[in-house]
Amino acid sequence: MRVALLLACVAAPLAGQSVRSRLEGRVPAAAIPVVDSLVQAAGREGLPTEPLVGKALEGGAKHVVPALIVSAVETRLDQLRSARALLVRGGDAPPATPAEVATVSGALRRGLPPPVVERVVGALPNEPRESALHAIADLVAHRLDADSSASLVIDAIHAGLRGGRLLDVSHAVLEEQQRGRTWAESFARVRDELPDVPPAPKPGEGTVQRARRPSSVSKAPTPP
Amino acid sequence: MNVREGPSDAEVVARVLGGDREAFGLIVRRYESGLLRFATRVLGGRDAAADAVAESLVRAYRHLASCRDPTRLRTWLYRIVANRCKSHLARRATGDVSLDDAPPIADPTDNEAALERVEQLAVVEQALATLSSEKREAFVLKHVEGMSYQEMAAVTGERIPTLKMRVHRAREALLKALEDRS
Amino acid sequence: MNSIDPRVHQALDGEIPREALPPALRRVAERLESAAALLAAAPEGRSVADRVLARLHRHAHSPVRRLARWLTAPHPVTLRIRPVWSLALAASLVLLMLLPEERSTPVLGEHEGIAQFVARFPGAHSVQVVGSFNDWRTGTIPLEDRDGDGVWRAVVVLPAGAHEYMFVVDDERWVPDYSANRFVEDDFGRENSVLIVRPVKG
Repeated sequence: MRVALLLACVAAPLAGQSVRSRLEGRVPAAAIPVVDSLVQAAGREGLPTEPLVGKALEGGAKHVVPALIVSAVETRLDQLRSARALLVRGGDAPPATPAEVATVSGALRRGLPPPVVERVVGALPNEPRESALHAIADLVAHRLDADSSASLVIDAIHAGLRGGRLLDVSHAVLEEQQRGRTWAESFARVRDELPDVPPAPKPGEGTVQRARRPSSVSKAPTPP
Repeated sequence: MNVREGPSDAEVVARVLGGDREAFGLIVRRYESGLLRFATRVLGGRDAAADAVAESLVRAYRHLASCRDPTRLRTWLYRIVANRCKSHLARRATGDVSLDDAPPIADPTDNEAALERVEQLAVVEQALATLSSEKREAFVLKHVEGMSYQEMAAVTGERIPTLKMRVHRAREALLKALEDRS
Repeated sequence: MNSIDPRVHQALDGEIPREALPPALRRVAERLESAAALLAAAPEGRSVADRVLARLHRHAHSPVRRLARWLTAPHPVTLRIRPVWSLALAASLVLLMLLPEERSTPVLGEHEGIAQFVARFPGAHSVQVVGSFNDWRTGTIPLEDRDGDGVWRAVVVLPAGAHEYMFVVDDERWVPDYSANRFVEDDFGRENSVLIVRPVKG
């Protein structure tokens, strides 16, 4: 316990330093102290900090003015807090894992209604929800009804599908729709076939051979 | 040639499924103008509409065997185009209709009545563009394509009371938008 | 929102005769009908028939389909190779096996996947992709247009999960990937595209 406390005391300032060093030169100097303090606050609350650092770097790369960068990071922090509150309401033990907080926050940003997200949280206790939430958000983005989309994905979860296979479910619905079926028919067909939805094709040998890892570092781009 | 004359939709579908690919041209010519008109009004741009209709007709050909009732080919085709338009709108950064890519206006002419008509059409198009995509779709299917609520239900997969409500709201929104512009 | 007298809706829906409407309401119905008539009468531009039929023709005659037909139909196959040619063939095969592989295949970790970026920017001099996966830095993932047809591509190994990104064209123009089906507000007044990378293993 003492060791853990000692490590925590040492780690906090170190983390702060590494955040500042990541921001320096890439984010306007005027924004860095405030962003840094918001990142520290998130860390103290047990929230994920990477979305905040990422948002500041994004703002810097897009040459956004300091005030807007700070405001966007504040907004992200609020979103993370709301996401954690939702997770706890949905049954996760507080403070909820940073990864799940980031996932739920992402789903809310993609426009999923909080009650729908809460249903998914409850349907997958103590399991990653990222794919399930993206599958529903993909259907909602095509203007399908959020509740029906969530029901289908939750049925797929009950049928034993997890992870990327849940994305296959939303993909199958959209494929059926493109073949001229109504959304109700598309949902019904996919539901009838659960858990046998067609899997997404894996990248071929040639594609893997052509793949390259991103090379490191360079200059920041000009603003939009 | 009037493409509405000649073999029935069911006969043409049977011919295509029997291997006569060229017969699909009859279906294309029979329905493309209505489908283009519908997609143009929903998407708000001629190029996007042409892409959506062309893509939909190719899909329709490939999945023709899954058209369970060839006598209702028309609503099946409209449904494919409506779904394609939804995907297109979902992809677009905003749901706004682009007026830069404004739909078609008759060729300019010195005929005063024609000019006035062109101006009126531009006003109606701008007013329609202010409606949500769902209301635009409902108004166009009902009043421009002249469909019954039953046919609209077959195209959109929505229930008739929902569609009735949507058409009513679309009329109200359009009337207001027209009044704002007059 | 202006509310329209229910009788106008009833008349437009054919539930009551038009004559049952008082003149003021009849004018409302006529205004909507004339708007619809204008939309119905407007010309709709070029036919897509040729385009569609050409696609169907290509579909029916694509080399893949021809090959599939050929493979599924029975054919007598006779191979006649002269001794001198068979020697040359064997030598070429040995050479091919001995030649070192020009590009090595990346070894993917358990939590990594492949992302393929494709975008059409005719006339662009450079296109890059920046996003949460590279801390929004340029110069790390350039797209290539080897044949100069304006279509830019990159195939990249990325960590599995959701990533936000945009294209940077000619080092100055930021453009979302409109072919992505997922978007999210970037809180700076624009939208980022969202990409989900699935792990290749598993």
